[in-house]
Amino acid sequence: MSQMAISAGPGRAACDLPSPVAALQRCDGGVEAGFSGADGVTRLTHLFQRNPGRLLFPTVSPGLPPEAVLVTVAGGLTGGDRMSVRLEAKHAAVACVTTQAAEKIYRSDGVDTSVLVDLRVGAGTALEWMPQETILFDGARLRRETRISLAPGARLLAGEITIYGRTARGERFGGGLLFDRWRVQGPDRLLWYDATRLDGDIGAKMAHPAGYAGARASATLLCGGLPGQPALALSREWLAGRGDASLRLGCSLVNGLLVLRWLSADAARLRASFVEFWLQLRAARHLHSLLLPDTPPRVWNC
Amino acid sequence: MTMTMITDSTDIVTTIEDKAGLYRLLSWLSPAYPVGAFSYSHGIEYAVEAGLVRDRATLTDWIAGILRQGAGVSDGALLAAAWRAARTSDVVALCDLSALSAAWRGGSELALESAGQGRAFLAITRSAWPDPFLDELALAIGEAEIGYPVAFGLAAGRTGIPLHATLVGYFQAFAANLVSAAVRLIPLGQTDGQRCQRALLAEVLAIADQALAADPAEAGTAAPMVDWTSMRHETQYTRLFRS
Repeated sequence: MSQMAISAGPGRAACDLPSPVAALQRCDGGVEAGFSGADGVTRLTHLFQRNPGRLLFPTVSPGLPPEAVLVTVAGGLTGGDRMSVRLEAKHAAVACVTTQAAEKIYRSDGVDTSVLVDLRVGAGTALEWMPQETILFDGARLRRETRISLAPGARLLAGEITIYGRTARGERFGGGLLFDRWRVQGPDRLLWYDATRLDGDIGAKMAHPAGYAGARASATLLCGGLPGQPALALSREWLAGRGDASLRLGCSLVNGLLVLRWLSADAARLRASFVEFWLQLRAARHLHSLLLPDTPPRVWNC
Repeated sequence: MTMTMITDSTDIVTTIEDKAGLYRLLSWLSPAYPVGAFSYSHGIEYAVEAGLVRDRATLTDWIAGILRQGAGVSDGALLAAAWRAARTSDVVALCDLSALSAAWRGGSELALESAGQGRAFLAITRSAWPDPFLDELALAIGEAEIGYPVAFGLAAGRTGIPLHATLVGYFQAFAANLVSAAVRLIPLGQTDGQRCQRALLAEVLAIADQALAADPAEAGTAAPMVDWTSMRHETQYTRLFRS
């Protein structure tokens, strides 16, 4: 039946047949990982993976915290697909989790793609959730929610880069949906909430001077558990002299969370700047005393 | 005050028959109501510095963007939800909205702008327009912050000012405050400022309509440039405004 519907062609009425779209298999994937530390070594204590989610653990240099790499083996997500990432750090664990490649969100036939990221950062632990960029194809419909819970003394670095259309081929994210929420819960209160919604006339919203002012890529970096004022001072010092009308950078300290934002028409330039600050922060041992590599995870260089 | 005027109706002219409700709304939104609105520019001070806002046309467009894609969306949804929760005296919902409104800010100065006015509004209204429910809520919130749209929606809902009138009034005052800041910053003539205010009429009515049906859990903004101006304002060399 679905074969017939597909071959019916644009001029033929295929509407009496069951929709081939509805018959397609949608994926519901996810990964869960738990890290726990003892004697200065972090170990994986829990791992669950469901296709197309897979978590790989490349070998890292001795003495460095583990790196986990999320792979979406389907090669991207489309309408109706779901993906969840649940990470937990306990007992002085230190870990970095990233993604193997840019996550592609394909054009949807009208159904939303759902992504849930749930990070539980326990007392005295440090977790980096630094996925590579998400690329929204024109017509993609993405609902993404990042929930973070921070225990007292938890250190967190969480980022996201979003690219609006396959910019290298001149595509723009002009229709579809982006509904992207962040919810950061501290020990006693909600620290930060953010909700981006792009739908309807997305082209006009992105072109608006108070909207994206023509930017094609944006990034957010959240940093929790560092001494607030010194972290803010470091960010401001780094920002000074960087950025211009085609790469806009800003930082602020909200309820003890350091928030950095990037906005650019040039996705590659934005990514390079994002990585530069990430490494700057890793190297700022006066702020966190963690021994972290001075290069991003190897998958970022591919 | 009669129950018949408590309505979500969009027909504000005919529903705000209650003269005491109109009197309250005008009093609370007056620049003389001491919430300190005049000290905030919502990032416009930096937008002027950066050359993004430089005349009447760019100012009107910028404020329209804030209403359509920025605080107009988030604050409208929060205000409407607080108004509804106040109608049913739902303290738990109001505490959640209060926490959400305090956390949903693009930067520390936008947080200060909302929480500073929210706290001041609640304190002044409790003193000058006493209502035991406001005291109960202030006690439940404790030391935590309350965003201005939630504090305002709460008070308006309690006294039965129609929601649509409340929204139109709130955003009219918000826009007027930004116009007034920009008139000083650009600088712009007073008459041009009022032309800008008039041009924003349709935007304010549209965002008020949209807020009537908005759910804070589904609402979202698309104004990263406003957040950017607010962040950059923190380190702007000469500043007249606190945001």
